[in-house]
Amino acid sequence: MPAVQETIDRVRKIDVDQYKYGFQTEIEMDKAPKGLSEEIIRFISAKKGEPDWMLEWRLGAYRRWLTLEEPTWARVHYPKIDFQDIHYYAAPKSTPGPKSLSEVDPELLKVYEKLGIPLKEQEILAGVQKTEESELEEANDNVYKSGRVAVDAVFDSVSVVTTFKKELAEAGVIFCSISEAIREHPELVQKYLGSVVPTSDNFYATLNSAVFTDGSFVFVPKGVRCPMELSTYFRINEKNTGQFERTLIIAEEGAYVSYLEGCTAPQRDENQLHAAVVELIALDDAEIKYSTVQNWYPGDAEGKGGIYNFVTKRGDCRGDRSKISWTQVETGSAITWKYPSCILRGDDSSGEFYSIAVSNGYQQVDSGTKMIHLGKNTSSRIISKGIAAGYSQNTYRGQVSAHRKATNARNFTNCDSLLIGDQCGAHTVPYMEAKNATAQFEHEATTSKISEDQKFYVMQRGIPEEEAIALIVNGFVKDVIQQLPMEFAVEAQKLIGISLEGSVG
Amino acid sequence: MNMHAQPQRTLAETALIDAFGERLSLLPGDGAVMVKRDDAIEAIKHGLPTRRVESWHYTDLRRLLTSVPAFETDGIAKALDPVLDSSAVLPVLNGVSNSKLPEIDGVTVQRLSEKLTDGSVAPGLDRYGADDAIGALNTAFVADGYFVDIADGTQLEKPIELQNLQSGGQAHVRLLTRVGAGAKAIIVERQAGEGSDALISSVSQLVLDEGAEVTWLIVQEQPDTATHLAQFKAHIGKDAKLTLFIMNAGGKLVRQEVVVRTTGEGADFKLRGINLLAGDTHTDTTMVLDHAVPHTTSTEVMRNVVTGKARGVFQGRINVHQYAQKTNAKMACNTLLLSDDGEFSTKPELEIFADDVVCGHGATVTEIDHDHLFYLMARGINEKTARGLLVKAFVAEVIEELDDEALVEALEARLDGWFLTHG
Repeated sequence: MPAVQETIDRVRKIDVDQYKYGFQTEIEMDKAPKGLSEEIIRFISAKKGEPDWMLEWRLGAYRRWLTLEEPTWARVHYPKIDFQDIHYYAAPKSTPGPKSLSEVDPELLKVYEKLGIPLKEQEILAGVQKTEESELEEANDNVYKSGRVAVDAVFDSVSVVTTFKKELAEAGVIFCSISEAIREHPELVQKYLGSVVPTSDNFYATLNSAVFTDGSFVFVPKGVRCPMELSTYFRINEKNTGQFERTLIIAEEGAYVSYLEGCTAPQRDENQLHAAVVELIALDDAEIKYSTVQNWYPGDAEGKGGIYNFVTKRGDCRGDRSKISWTQVETGSAITWKYPSCILRGDDSSGEFYSIAVSNGYQQVDSGTKMIHLGKNTSSRIISKGIAAGYSQNTYRGQVSAHRKATNARNFTNCDSLLIGDQCGAHTVPYMEAKNATAQFEHEATTSKISEDQKFYVMQRGIPEEEAIALIVNGFVKDVIQQLPMEFAVEAQKLIGISLEGSVG
Repeated sequence: MNMHAQPQRTLAETALIDAFGERLSLLPGDGAVMVKRDDAIEAIKHGLPTRRVESWHYTDLRRLLTSVPAFETDGIAKALDPVLDSSAVLPVLNGVSNSKLPEIDGVTVQRLSEKLTDGSVAPGLDRYGADDAIGALNTAFVADGYFVDIADGTQLEKPIELQNLQSGGQAHVRLLTRVGAGAKAIIVERQAGEGSDALISSVSQLVLDEGAEVTWLIVQEQPDTATHLAQFKAHIGKDAKLTLFIMNAGGKLVRQEVVVRTTGEGADFKLRGINLLAGDTHTDTTMVLDHAVPHTTSTEVMRNVVTGKARGVFQGRINVHQYAQKTNAKMACNTLLLSDDGEFSTKPELEIFADDVVCGHGATVTEIDHDHLFYLMARGINEKTARGLLVKAFVAEVIEELDDEALVEALEARLDGWFLTHG
């Protein structure tokens, strides 16, 4: 049957051994020796030119980490990680602030080219300092302007460059690497860093607190609507390195920011560790929208290699009427273990979580969210779509809890799973904890193939089977795709659309 | 999911281990049974489960089990009138079965103490997992109960009521039932008592052969001083149907586990449960359902009412095995949280390894719908009465689904009784 064949071909295109971003680049790197010790932490801190309080903070976290045990409750299996066999710091050697494209390390340029970033953006990414004229030109070009995204490119352990800094600064927005923020805006970093995910939070967050090397810092002051989308592009390149980035986003009263995150890594036989921490803080009436398209190398068809993606992401709706929204499209990583969460502390605050997790090959996903209702009249919404194929295991794990004082807390959770083939597994583990009589929680979950009735309904309107299936499956994930900013929606659709259509053949 | 080794034993753990040493010579069992008992007490020596053990996350037994009463030698429990008129009653009073066994056509009844002594029930004493603390406690101490065998093709006209009644102290009881091919029965498991502190572990094991049909009712009305740790385990064979109805309306610390496995194609399982929680009870209903073969179905509906300082838990896990294609499983858990000091936690889990299945679960926690309340009050019904009506309707819905009229009436009467004292 040609339809079936087409379906198979489509699935194959996105299968794990078709990973497009698996190339590696020979770039001269500056690396710390393997292993983890106080010396290494001092080395990282010195490399970054950090103040003493930062070093103390890291060392405090490291000492705490030594007392912690690796958690084992998630539904993922992997050999024990040797934390002494990892480089905790790796940065490309390059001259600071190249003036033109020709001065930027050509290998670095090739990376961006291969990652499919358009030439103009490439120029931006490579950190070329623009002349006055070219900036003027850009200002006149409205079409171009509306589609602009400021990018922070993180290559292994360091942020290579951050674009559009000047224009953002005019609006009062600070967008830079976290290392720069520690140097330039220590008062802000000291006030907010670790206030959502404390150094003692969990095994990997504590490790991250000790050794984080870079990441993004965003500060949107009172009443400012960030004039463009902000974005970070993470790339792991070097062998045997771990990437430990730290992102801190603060939206002051009435501010708004939309932030995108993308990631890729080369194809390697060894597993690499990525343990990031993301902290979001929204004050009164502020809104933060955080979108992720996660496409780390998932390992090969036999399950060899791939990234261990153990991430702690948490948003704190600290102010009244604040809002934090997480959207994630998870297609990569050998193991994904992350739960972007919202602490709904402010009265009338709201949290959202939209997720599509596609697993194939031998991937293992244990992902979901936590919505902790503390303030009055808080609301949260969780939409999660899991798609498991091949030999993969796809778990949704989520917690919704209402504190005693969280009167009128509202939650709606919907998690659906699609299974492709009989060797994979889909699991749903929601935790609901209500300690308040006025709380109203609803949870629904389904797992199924496409129903014959739905298919029949569409087909009897003259739509061929193949298209009918495509329509229904796209409808399956539409809720989440709609939440992504335009730039990412296209990429996300490309990443998952094909696999979904294949799933029902 | 392993029980972690605990550095220091709690008072309750020490009391259990000491009690085992003292009771050992009195416990019935041949060599095989005694080996199982030793294994079980070893598990307890590793510590009772804490919230770090996933299946005990909301019921930290190590922390909640603060004291273990001694074994009473002169209990005063007396058999109760059965829930359903005309039932044949098999009472276990203070952990001891009745030596006078009733004669029922097609049914063989034996005292469990005899089956333990001859070792014929030893294989069934295994725990179902490393986290099976109730199984461990019961296997270590079980002294009596009943073994009921309903012969193939028997259509029981009168229900059987198994009563486990306790007047303080400890009791560890097992109720084993086999329902033969094509047989049909209604069985009531009554868990109640009176008086001071009690620790009860009760394990019911049920096997349904091909085409058997059973309605099993668990009516738990322990006094608010009792710790009640219960387990219901069933295997449902080919084309067999099991309807399990649980009513929890008492006890201080209650954990009712339901462990069910479909073992033959066409097997059907229905769970209907109501938890009526008042005072400062901690009541946990935990279900693990394995769809182990293709073409089996299940539906579960739980309705919970939480008042006072009560804490309620429902955990329901549906496992669909890799070759269990065409499984159809649905689970719903609805809770009315009526007081600010009450708590309810739910964890409805799906673990699915087969692709051609339809599985779903839904869970809600709410207060009484204001529109419904308004609707009734607009008709001149005062608020208290209106609330009472709505709460009762919320739970009665589950009862009314049972297709046996006498059963529905009997359960509604118990429901009314509860509302009279707690409403």
